[in-house]
Amino acid sequence: MSKRLQFVLLISVFVVATCGLIYELVAGTLASYLLGDSVTQFSTIIGAYLFSMGIGSFLSKYFLNDLIRWFIRIEILVGLVGGFSSVILFLLFEQVSHFRIVLYLLVALTGILVGLEIPLLMRILKDRLEFSELVSKVFTFDYIGALLASVIFPLLLIPYLGIMRTSLFFGLINIAIAILVCVWLRKEINGARWLLPQAIISLVLLIAGFIFSEELLKFAEAQAYHDSVIYARSSPYQRIVVTKSGADVRLFLNGNLQFSSNDEYRYHEALVHPAMSMVKHPKRVLVMGGGDGLAVREILKYPEVETITLVDLDPAVTNLFNSNALLTDLNKNSLHSSKLTIINQDAFVWIKNHDTLYDVVIIDFPDPSNYSLGKLYTNTFYRELRHIVDPNGLAVIQSTSPYFARKSFWIIDETLRQVGFNTLPYHAYIPSFGEWGYVLASQTSQPDSLGLLPENLKYLSRSTFEQMTFFPPDMAHTESGYNSLNNQRLVQVFEQEWSNYQP
Amino acid sequence: MISRRKFLFNSLGLAGATCMGSVFTSCTPSRNVTGMLTGPNQALGHRLHQEIRNAKVEQTLHHDVVIVGGGTSGLAAARYLSKSGTDFMLIELEQRTGGNAQSGSNEVSAYPLGAHYLPLPSLNDAELLHFLEESGAITGYQNGKPVYNDYYLCFDPKERLFIHGHWQDGLVPHSGVPSADLDQLHRFQSLMHEFKQAKGADGKDAFCIPLTACSVDPAFTALDKISFSEYLQQQTFTSEYLWWYVNYCCADDYGATADQVSAWAGIHYFASRKGIAHNAESDSVLTWPEGNGWLVNKLREQVKETIVCNSLVFRIESRGNKVAVLFIDGNAGVCTEVITDQVILATPQFINHRILSASFEHPLNAASFNYAPWMVANLTLTSNLETKRGEPLSWDNVIYGSKSLGYVYANHQTLGQRQQQQVITYYAPLLGANAKDSRTFANAQTYEQWYAWVTKDLKTAHRFIEDGMERMDVWVWGHGMICPIPDFIFGKARTNASASLRDKIHFAHSDCSGISIFEEAFHRGTQAAKKVLGYES
Ligand SMILES: Cc1cc2nc3c(=O)[nH]c(=O)nc-3n(C[C@H](O)[C@H](O)[C@H](O)COP(=O)(O)OP(=O)(O)OC[C@H]3O[C@@H](n4cnc5c(N)ncnc54)[C@H](O)[C@@H]3O)c2cc1C
Repeated sequence: MSKRLQFVLLISVFVVATCGLIYELVAGTLASYLLGDSVTQFSTIIGAYLFSMGIGSFLSKYFLNDLIRWFIRIEILVGLVGGFSSVILFLLFEQVSHFRIVLYLLVALTGILVGLEIPLLMRILKDRLEFSELVSKVFTFDYIGALLASVIFPLLLIPYLGIMRTSLFFGLINIAIAILVCVWLRKEINGARWLLPQAIISLVLLIAGFIFSEELLKFAEAQAYHDSVIYARSSPYQRIVVTKSGADVRLFLNGNLQFSSNDEYRYHEALVHPAMSMVKHPKRVLVMGGGDGLAVREILKYPEVETITLVDLDPAVTNLFNSNALLTDLNKNSLHSSKLTIINQDAFVWIKNHDTLYDVVIIDFPDPSNYSLGKLYTNTFYRELRHIVDPNGLAVIQSTSPYFARKSFWIIDETLRQVGFNTLPYHAYIPSFGEWGYVLASQTSQPDSLGLLPENLKYLSRSTFEQMTFFPPDMAHTESGYNSLNNQRLVQVFEQEWSNYQP
Repeated sequence: MISRRKFLFNSLGLAGATCMGSVFTSCTPSRNVTGMLTGPNQALGHRLHQEIRNAKVEQTLHHDVVIVGGGTSGLAAARYLSKSGTDFMLIELEQRTGGNAQSGSNEVSAYPLGAHYLPLPSLNDAELLHFLEESGAITGYQNGKPVYNDYYLCFDPKERLFIHGHWQDGLVPHSGVPSADLDQLHRFQSLMHEFKQAKGADGKDAFCIPLTACSVDPAFTALDKISFSEYLQQQTFTSEYLWWYVNYCCADDYGATADQVSAWAGIHYFASRKGIAHNAESDSVLTWPEGNGWLVNKLREQVKETIVCNSLVFRIESRGNKVAVLFIDGNAGVCTEVITDQVILATPQFINHRILSASFEHPLNAASFNYAPWMVANLTLTSNLETKRGEPLSWDNVIYGSKSLGYVYANHQTLGQRQQQQVITYYAPLLGANAKDSRTFANAQTYEQWYAWVTKDLKTAHRFIEDGMERMDVWVWGHGMICPIPDFIFGKARTNASASLRDKIHFAHSDCSGISIFEEAFHRGTQAAKKVLGYES
């Protein structure tokens, strides 16, 4: 009897140790997954977890009697809390305003429970083993468990089970141990009647979670990003997130979708080719914003282009898009083109200190969702723009959605005209964005029809463009006024218009 | 349909981060805020009290005109004189010119140490408009209206007020203000609007800038006999919101309370600004990261060869039909005398009185000239000044109920995207029953005491401001602004003290106007130069 008890309990030590480390790894991975900056996430999670285990060990002295029963109860709790931790975190990420608090509470709770386990086990075993034997055995199993966990977690669990099922799976193992102990030691524990049903109910819950994990995951991600996050980082300027599902890669800046690889060709063909084809021999091209290199990819389809200058504030974006294989596939390695010069500077500061001329200027800034960005859509900025667009050249400006933000769109058009540009507004349908708008701006003549387009465009053609310049009544021109540094009308209108479409 | 749907990720992450951040830092015992407590060159200035009067002259210079003081008024006088090719010399006590419009800078931004904005001038302030055109602040005219340089017009969002735990837009309280109070505020504003339109029997504007162009119709000048509070009481204003607002405005322009300034001066703040622009609203202002430091630097550029800094003028004497200006330089202590025909004193009257020899019989009633002390703190921060509660960080950010004037965001006029580090300039006029006691109080404060004062006040609106604070520099102006107490602007003491002496000594400092603003300093300086040139008597 005592041999068997010993064996069961030592196996428990092993399993408990493995599960404990797995939960810690799950929390760390999830935190870096969802919040970015893995070094910080991992080190703070590990610290918080170990410290909580310390608290658990400290608290263990208050458990005086019925140690085995307590051990089983705790085992069930660990299984539930640890097992469901990833589910809870995924689901709450979008909902709770203090996500980190929930995260650390969960880590602390799991840590405390796990921290209770080993001391309790040692005390259960203390009368059955020599002290030196006890310490040696318990810690050996403990550390072997840890080793096992740390090896299988990245090699087997994450690739084959995914993060959510991993935590559920180890929750199941915890409960299984609880049930095993219940059954095998039912003589040792009196009144175990209620423990077994509890354990079984928990087991059923976890199994259900495991089976429906796919659905849960989908639901959770639909709450946040639709797809799995493959890159997340906060640069000093913005938060950069890249997601992937199947073949679809998406870039989010500050939570705003910048493109989806499924239909970005529509967006970029519409952005680049009207201007590029209308200008006779575009040699010098400037791109502002657009650090993803997708506009540059389109520009490189014109062999007569000699130099491309890309001004993008954030080196984190341009570095990402010239190094990540998935993304360089997408932009055809355009950021490595020998024609290209990348300048990581603020566009306004740069343009104010520049007066060399460009044949085509492509402006792809984020939407004017705050006052800082709003400056890049003012008459003052466009006046600076006039100084660098060749008299025979063209500029094109991404101008938010004329459907969702109709007035905002026409403010941009009006602002360009106020400083003396002739404009040609047009729009394109991008499934992942909806109806999207652009404005062509010319120093001299009124731009109208397309020139010769490169071959193999997937979306833009002469006849598509004719439709694009037509604005149906629900997007048609509306009196708007112009945007200036000292009125920032656009930001206010934009915020109000988009708030009507926020979920 | 997702269409660039906004996710809350960023803000969630940040909310978590700030909350954690504060927990961590509050455990940190030592806070790494550096900074210092400074002010105008007191060491040199205090020598006026000491016996340098008998210092031995080691050098004699000759100039047609000497300007004493290189603040706005002295530089404006220099600008005007230099246009006529007059030979002159400007002597300034500090290391740099600028006076109350000086500025500082660090790796993050330039910032003001005092004056920080200029409201759009009205069309009749011709000389000021010329200067703004020379310096590129006005880029041209359209339909007779000046076109201002877009980079210098204050960007939007301009002003916000923290009231009832929330940032509202604009400084006139309205958010959560009961309707009875709003009615009073509206009534007040329409009264002020009437004053703005009003003309005296002499056909002149009742309130305008420069003051010398204002009507002297007793119907309006009588308002100079009573205090602004008396006037407001007569008009049965009782709303605490209104009183706060009015006191805020008096503090902003005069460093004083509605009890202390005359009703005429109080109304002047609201009724005198009649700027016109082709490309901005008439209530717009011009501002720069370094505040009016930009303006005085432009003035200085035109005349920099004539300027001698770090030199204290300690005596002005009559020498036959010439005048001798004696100064001592701050480094070597060499004493120089300049023999000249005429002198422009662009220094405050309390100083003038000390340096003019008795033979000039300068009639100064010192009790009438009150100067409010000010404390200005420049803070370098990474703290988040955007709160979820209301309006975003603006140029001018005021806290309702505070004794300070809140803070100005020095990086506001920078073009780039928001940087993590920012500089804000915190303004506190030291209000008290009398300026002298306030000055004694101000001079007794230590850096730590000012630090505590500033952070305590700012924490009302930004609880965690200390977490991201890197630097706080405190600057104390002992004699910051002249206070237009009742009967000062239209009274005898002011006119007597500012009348030219023997056609040789002319007064230019803004305290001769009784209102301490750039326009007046500029106007007084220009007028003094005109007197020197005999254009004006
Ligand atoms: C905190 C603060 C904020 C302000 N904000 C604004 C604002 O936003 N807008 C605005 O229009 N106005 C503002 N003002 C008012 C400002 O004072 C005026 O705009 C203007 O700068 C005053 O110029 P001034 O030439 O009359 O005087 P000062 O600036 O006082 O110039 C006098 C000069 O004389 C020098 N001096 C003194 N004694 C001697 C001596 N013995 N020998 C040689 N030189 C001497 C001084 O060093 C100084 O440079 C502010 C003032 C303060 C204190």
